Order: sequence, then structure tokens, then C-alpha cells
Amino acid sequence: MTLENILLNGMAVITTGLIVGAIFSLVAAGVTIMYGTIWFPNASNGQFFMLAALLMWSLVVNWGLSPFLGAVVVIVGSIPFSLVLEKFLVRPFYNVPNRNIVYFIMTLGLAQIFAGAFTGTYGRWSDQFSLPAAWPGAILLGPFPFPRTRLLVLVIALTLLAGLFVFLRLHRVGRALRAVFQNREAAILRGVDVRRIYRFSFVLAMLVITMGGVLFAMAYGFDLTMAWTMAIIGFAIMIVGGPGSVLGSVVIGMIFGFTQAVVSLFASPTLAAFSYLVVMLIILLVKPSGLFAR
Amino acid sequence: MIFRRAAVVGLVLLALLLPFLLSANRFYAFILGVTYLYVLWSSGMNLLSGFTGLMPLMYAGLAGIGAYTSVNLVMKFGVSFWLAMPAGALAAAVVGVVLGLPSLRLRGFYFTLSGLVIQTALTMLFVYIPQFTGGDTGISQIPPPMISLPGDKSFALTGVWLEEALAVAALLTVYVVHRVTRSTWGKYLVAIREDDLLTEALGIGVTRYRVLAFFISSLFAGVGGAFYAHYMGFVSPRSFDVLTSMNIWLIVGFGGQGTILGPIVGTIILAPIPYIMQELYLYKDIVYGSLIVFTTIFLPRGVYGSVLFHRRNRALSRSSAQGKTEAARL
Repeated sequence: MTLENILLNGMAVITTGLIVGAIFSLVAAGVTIMYGTIWFPNASNGQFFMLAALLMWSLVVNWGLSPFLGAVVVIVGSIPFSLVLEKFLVRPFYNVPNRNIVYFIMTLGLAQIFAGAFTGTYGRWSDQFSLPAAWPGAILLGPFPFPRTRLLVLVIALTLLAGLFVFLRLHRVGRALRAVFQNREAAILRGVDVRRIYRFSFVLAMLVITMGGVLFAMAYGFDLTMAWTMAIIGFAIMIVGGPGSVLGSVVIGMIFGFTQAVVSLFASPTLAAFSYLVVMLIILLVKPSGLFAR
Repeated sequence: MIFRRAAVVGLVLLALLLPFLLSANRFYAFILGVTYLYVLWSSGMNLLSGFTGLMPLMYAGLAGIGAYTSVNLVMKFGVSFWLAMPAGALAAAVVGVVLGLPSLRLRGFYFTLSGLVIQTALTMLFVYIPQFTGGDTGISQIPPPMISLPGDKSFALTGVWLEEALAVAALLTVYVVHRVTRSTWGKYLVAIREDDLLTEALGIGVTRYRVLAFFISSLFAGVGGAFYAHYMGFVSPRSFDVLTSMNIWLIVGFGGQGTILGPIVGTIILAPIPYIMQELYLYKDIVYGSLIVFTTIFLPRGVYGSVLFHRRNRALSRSSAQGKTEAARL
């Protein structure tokens, strides 16, 4: 390998790692918020991610919308969608003991519905989906070209993560949400309306997952198998980082993103997915509360 | 009691006769065979998910281990199916316990999640060892089980006789699960499901009984997998992916978890669906997924479980004035 090759690969690893890591972190943050507050282990998070990406593709490729407008439509559209889901699928179980298992089974069913629907529609139209660049052209990082769209996606993803952090730390509602993470009863005693926080955190989590899907669609081509992989990755990051810990999901998400980038250079990405599974299993057995749990 | 016994004998006879009655039409006979196969699988899973309260999402993966073990023994080493099938079952149970043993200490959701992880890893493994599994293309032309008769004659167990064998296997499974749940340690399993900490405090080795239930349940997964392979004549990793696990769970949950008849009722209603609506195979996942969501929301006890519940409710409200409150507690 020549020096130039090494540098080129290094650049690829760093940029891919950052973008993929940021998107993984976004999705995992959504998964962990849902599980941390509502006890809703969302096995269909990968399908929601895929739904966002596929809708982006339809809006941009079939309807000819600009990617930015498409992104806004999909992201805004996710809010009423998640309110409906919350009303019919999440709320009925608030009083069920062990509701996390019920939720888990139910979302697995939901994932199966979406998987079937995607194969029956998009699966027949194409195997590989990619969007035209939102911001055509490339900039030069040193001697290496770097697509502008990806740079934009990276900046947006990092901004969103930072915004999520600031919101959860500083805003009144965000702090109430974290209070519910930590201790439901104490939060109720302090006057937090837990039901409203549940609804809010579901919508917020769905929003974050949708944004992940939209950003991924803007940066990379994708296929339908991404959905299941993403669901597994979301869970793996949540378990390793610690359910309910957004910091954990960001740190582990970045680590997984870089793992993905490095492994994809030398071997099949399936190997990376396999390694997440193994790590998740080990953490489940050794420390189910995750690495970043308080 | 006599009436019930007569009903059981009648059902067993019907199950044994049906293959002959339907043998004129290969298609219906095939659906019947698949139904028996799923009775076997779902009753085996019910022992764990219904009676012990552990949802094994790696069930189809274990069935796959049973299937591939049996197929490889038969096709590569010329072992008789009747030796290869138990070997496959044992392999499934041993692998299941080895992989599942650490996670058996986990409870509830974490056990289910680790099951999903193990299932996904097994599916990947099946794709990545094509020398044993044929990779993504799968293995076709799997021979049917052979029966050797005295005098060096042997004949292949096909058609109606294979369905008959499946009927016997399914009936045996139901019988074994029934016996297990009526035994003392079957009661321990239910106690573990209801409150594992209390059970532990009573001096019952919770982990030991969980492992035992897991072992037996995985054996049935493996037996079903071996029969599946030799009945269908074709297996691929897709046959044993997480969706299969979920379909088997759906059959148990829809029929009624923790009841003997529940999985049978569930199988009769649900297992034929994909074959009857064959032209609409693309909608199979949507139908099954919707049924899972429907079952969790509206039918948590399952069809047969609800029947039992209402019957018990009525009996209670007749026998005591406070029946309602007690029934609510049940």
C-alpha cells in the first residue's frame, strides 16, 4: 500500500466513521429515549428509519422535490404519524405489568408489517435507492475530494446531536424527561405529568429516528436490508451504552460508526453487524444496565 | 371426565385419519402436514413461552440447527433419518442451552432481546457456512425418511405416510408437554413464570428448571426442524430466520399461551394461511405482523385462553356472590 493509499483510506475511514457514527447516534438516541422513559423497546426503529429514507426517495426521485424540501416534509410528517402511533399502540399498555415485553413483541410485529409492505412496494420498484446530491459538487480536504452533501449531512447531524444534548440538559421539558428516566415516582412527586412526558418523548424519539433516516438517505445509497440491520444496531448501541443514557448512545454510536467504516474497508459490512451482536450479547450477560448507566 | 376422555380419543383418531381422508388431494394433504409440523413446533415453544414465561426468539435458529444437522448426516454420511433426526434434536438442544445458558439468568425483556441477538447471529452463521447449509441458495432435493424392512428392503416414507409420521410426532409432542406441565416440576415452571423471586425463595432452583424447560423446548425445535427439512425437501437460511420464530410465537399467543390446546387452535387457524393465499404471498408478512399487533392489543390471552377465562369467570360468579372480584383477580 502506498502512502497515498493509506492516507486515502484513512480519510475515508474518518469521514465515513463520523457521518455513519453521527447517524447511528441519532437513531440510538431515539431508541434509548423511548426505552428510558416509556419502557418502549422499539424493535421497529429500523423500519421507521427506512420509512423516512424511502419517503425521501419517493418525494425527491418520483415527485421531483428538492431534497431539502423533501426532508422538511418527511420530518414534519413524522409528528402526526407518531402521535397516532402513540395513541393506538403505546398508550393502551401503560398499566400492563411487564409492558416492555408486550411492546417488544408488538413492535416486532410492526416491523414485520413494514418489512412486508416495503418488499411488496419499493422492493418491486428497485433494489438500490439513491438520491441526487442535495448540494452538488465536492470540496477539497487537502488533496482529497469530499462530496459537499456529505459534509452538510455531517454538520447537520452533529448540530442535531448537540441540540438534543442541550435540550435535555437545559430546557425545562428536557429536564423533566430526564427526571422520568431516572426515577418515575420522584418525578411525579415533583409535579411532572408523566403521561405527557411519555407522549412527548415518543414523538421526540420518532423525530430523531426520522432525521437519522433522512440524513442517511441524503448521504448514502441504501437498500431494504438496511432496516433490519439498523434495528439491531440501534438496540446494540442502546444496550452497550446503557438504556436511557443519551451520552452512552452518542459515544457508542460513534465507536460503532468507526467500526463500520474500518471493517467495510477490509471485509464485508456483515462482519461489523456480527461484531455488534457479539458485543451486545456480552454486555447483556455481564452488565445489562450498560456501560454509561448511573 | 368420561366425556373429556372420549373427546381426546376422538381427536387423536381424527388426527391420525385425516391424512388418509385428504390423500386424494396432494395440496390439502400438504397443508395438513405443515399444520402438524406447526403443532409440534408451537407446543414445544409453548412449554417455554407459555408455561415458563420466557419468550425464545431464537427458536427458529435452533430448529435450523436440528434441520441442518439431520440433512448433513443423511445426505453426506448416509445416516438413517431415524438416527439423524434425534441427533439433530440433541444438537439443537445442546447448542440452545450452551448459547442460552448465560441468558437464562436474565429476566423478561432482556432474555427476549438476547434471544433476538442469538437468532440474528445464527441466521448470519447459516449464510456464512455454505458447506453445511448451501448458503443463501439453500439445500434442495433432501431425501424423505427411509424405512428399512426385514429382508434388506426399504421404502421411502413419502406422501400420506410421511404426514402420518408427522401426525404421530405432533401428537407425541402434545402428550409430552401435557405430561410435563402436569408433573411437579411443570408446576415449578408455572411458579417461576408467576414470580421467580418467590419461587427461588421457596428453595426451588429457578435456573435449573429454566434450563430443563429450555432443553426440552429446544429438543422439539430440533425435531420439528429435521422433519421440516425432510418433509419440504428444501431448506434455506430464510426458513429459519427471526420471522419464523415470530410466526411460531404468534401461533402460540393467538391460540393461548400456557394452555395445552391453545397452540393447536392457533395452528389450525393460522398455519394454513400462507399456503391458502399463495398468490398473495407478498402480503403474508403484513397479515402475520398485523395479527401479532392485534393479538398483543386485543387478545393477550389468545382465543382458547379467552374461552377458558370466560368459562372460569362464569363458574365463579355462579358459585359465589363475590365471584366478580375474584374473577377479576384471576
